[in-house]
Amino acid sequence: MRLIISDVLDLPIAEDGECRVIYNNGNIHHCIGCFGCWGKTPGRCVIKDGYENMGELMSRCSELILISRCTYGGFSPFVKNVLDRTISYASPHFEMRKGEMHHKRRYENVIGLTAYFYGENITENEKQTATDIVSANSINYDGKVNEVLFFNSADQVKEALA
Amino acid sequence: MNIALINASPKATGSASKVLLEDLAGLINEDDTVKDFAINKPSIAEHEVGELCKCDAWVFAFPLYVDGIPSHLLSCLCRMEQMSISNRQIYVYAIVNCGFYEGKQCHNALAIMENWCDKTGFIWGMGIGYGGGGALASMGNIPLGRGPKRSLGQAYRILANAILTDTQTENYYTSVSLPEFLYRQAAEYSWKQMIKANGGRYADLNKKI
Repeated sequence: MRLIISDVLDLPIAEDGECRVIYNNGNIHHCIGCFGCWGKTPGRCVIKDGYENMGELMSRCSELILISRCTYGGFSPFVKNVLDRTISYASPHFEMRKGEMHHKRRYENVIGLTAYFYGENITENEKQTATDIVSANSINYDGKVNEVLFFNSADQVKEALA
Repeated sequence: MNIALINASPKATGSASKVLLEDLAGLINEDDTVKDFAINKPSIAEHEVGELCKCDAWVFAFPLYVDGIPSHLLSCLCRMEQMSISNRQIYVYAIVNCGFYEGKQCHNALAIMENWCDKTGFIWGMGIGYGGGGALASMGNIPLGRGPKRSLGQAYRILANAILTDTQTENYYTSVSLPEFLYRQAAEYSWKQMIKANGGRYADLNKKI
């Protein structure tokens, strides 16, 4: 399955059993750092706002596509909020990978990560940070980076996806 | 000099960020004034930003979230960028703690803070990336510079000097002063305690849905 997390509404993409798009419904709550998704209801966030199953959805995807305004070199508040709510995708246990500590896998699927960043005045430093963050995300998911792309506007992203 | 210590953990109580800021406050001279602030929700009121702008330096402390900064703090940073803040001659510092052992893993979060300063016109001072922050919440009574806080004491000497002299310096990365295997064992023990306290079994930590 392709899982798309987007702060751009009305993407020219049809949702079906092979593609799921996570949009902002205006009700998302931020992660409160309780670790309930690891130590209380393992695999699922304890905040019931419609975004509690993000870790589970990630376990079913082979490609994760992030569509986000580039915000200081990172994701926008909504996309980052969803990502903050996905930590149950991994297990709380630690292991060493590439000489660094990371969380062990909970699931077997390998995620390929693609990021579409957009914004009018993305600086070179921001592009570098964004590229580094996607790479770090892929290491934490024990997955891989497919592509990191930059656009001048959300409309350009839509055109690229059409 | 007025120094704002901004606890930007989403946790209202019991955060590692609180311990980090309390230890830093102990290094600030009596001649200087420390003002405590908290950002634990995705919104910030104009009057709070007004109070922040009366300070000469802002020190944020927050946990690393998915290789970046927590979304609630990001929302507040975006809001502050939109506000008409006249005083931009403020030095910004950040202390990021992560559950991983290597403080270096906080470097992207610090880069975001520096990029935010570039975008808004605030002056980036320096950042600290602190690994093994998960252990800090239970270390409130351990003196800075001693035992597991030995390395934090070294980092804070650099940070406090930068803050008190209005200077910019390189980011500094360090880890809790515990052997990596011991830190991992402590983390495993805490997960075991948590799942049992919630009526689960140790094996449930790896549960697939």
